[in-house]
Amino acid sequence: MRFFLIKILALLLFSFGALHASPSEAAKGSTHKEETYQTKPLGEMITGFLASTGLNALINPDPNEKNAHGEDMSDFNKSWGRVIMVLITFLLFYLAIKKGYEPLILLPIAFGGLLANIPVAAIAGEHGFLGVIYNMGLANELFPIIIFMGVGAMTDFGPLLSNPKTALLGGAAQFGIFGTLVGAVALSQMGFVDFTLQQASAISIIGGADGPTSIFIATKLAPELLGAIAVASYSYMAMVPIIQPPIMKALTTDAERRIKMTTLRHVSRLEKLIFPIMVLVLAILVLPAATPLIGAFMFGNFLKESGVVERLNDTLQNALINIVTIFLGLGVGSKLASDQFLVPDTMFIMVLGVIAFSAGTAAGVIMAKIMNLFPGHKINPLIGSAGVSAVPMAARVSNKVGMEYDRTNMLLMHAMGPNVAGVIGSAVAAGVLISLFQ
Amino acid sequence: METNLIVEGFKFMALGMGTVFLFLITLIVLMNIMSKVLHKFFPEPSAASLEPQTPNQKDNKKIIAAISAAISHHRQG
Repeated sequence: MRFFLIKILALLLFSFGALHASPSEAAKGSTHKEETYQTKPLGEMITGFLASTGLNALINPDPNEKNAHGEDMSDFNKSWGRVIMVLITFLLFYLAIKKGYEPLILLPIAFGGLLANIPVAAIAGEHGFLGVIYNMGLANELFPIIIFMGVGAMTDFGPLLSNPKTALLGGAAQFGIFGTLVGAVALSQMGFVDFTLQQASAISIIGGADGPTSIFIATKLAPELLGAIAVASYSYMAMVPIIQPPIMKALTTDAERRIKMTTLRHVSRLEKLIFPIMVLVLAILVLPAATPLIGAFMFGNFLKESGVVERLNDTLQNALINIVTIFLGLGVGSKLASDQFLVPDTMFIMVLGVIAFSAGTAAGVIMAKIMNLFPGHKINPLIGSAGVSAVPMAARVSNKVGMEYDRTNMLLMHAMGPNVAGVIGSAVAAGVLISLFQ
Repeated sequence: METNLIVEGFKFMALGMGTVFLFLITLIVLMNIMSKVLHKFFPEPSAASLEPQTPNQKDNKKIIAAISAAISHHRQG
């Protein structure tokens, strides 16, 4: 034992001497790293290594470990919280792979969440790669904008142009956003939660059923809620075929569901080419705050409709949107760290999100019924539900429900009108919310 | 302060829904005007769309003739 102590003492002395010696050696230009490394007995090396394992970090949380923002975390969030979050990401894997819930975005989000909850490595921290991705494109709202370009390139405004009044359905469905906003502030007023007006706005945009818009608004108004809002937004979009039909059926009569709509007129190429510019000019005049989203959207659409830049159009629709989706998913996943996700707020966001979705669906259907009170071509109220964006899922649901009552009633193209108007509508709603907080 | 929140929420709703509808109604009006103007000054070449079909049919006949010639040649060979 004494021999051991002497050995350590000698080691210390040696390293002390080496430290002092190092400047002169550095001057000579012959530094080598070995000097800072202290030889240790094997037993010590093993205990040291065991102390650095993830298992140990989970069982005995390091009191000095900080979260991604450099703040203190509770011991729960460093140990069991992480285990719970890993299990939640497994659940998301299951939903994405087995149930097919928006796997393209949910899988990157879930895997990002898994990586963000690894102890010691701090992957979601400022210098971890998830943190770098987040700061590169999410903190500055770049990625949702690029996604919007791709979505614009994929969108065909033809059905809307051939039946313009269906745009009103896309407007009515935005009631989901503002109805939920009132609900969220009412909840905080009653003392259940403590949402600020910004946070309530960011949550309510889930009702717009538009993933990139939700992420754009959340990063702008309430970045601390981004993880929960994005997960809620994309999971509910995936659950549109489950959430919407009962509401649509409850609000319509059998006769209304069988209404056949007049066939859509042909839309000229020139109309499709002018439309994006027209929307953008209108946005500039009415609501400049919405122009980042609408501008990117219309840029993508304009490239597509111009018909002369097929290569760029193809890149926007495929390569670019795929690359950015990967980064967007991982960046959002970095916000699934236990200390940010395992809070009571998340539960309220999930509940408010589904209310927002349902309210938007109901408002669209009711709007269609109101429009049928006026003279003119009748509208099948089932396409009202497509006013929540969720392109093209919501339109497909309208079509499917319509077919249940009349096999020959093809509503898909009719429903695409309110569907794409819903995208514009939620971008406008987002612009209003942004402009209110500027 | 507390009571203000819900009132604020309703104010947001009024302004938000108002803007969304204003935007979309203006858009509907503009879309209708645009389609009228375009139909008047740039009529869809409905007659022209028929024209290219004739050369197409001729082309098709040429192609069919070429294919059948090739087949008969192949069979003979």
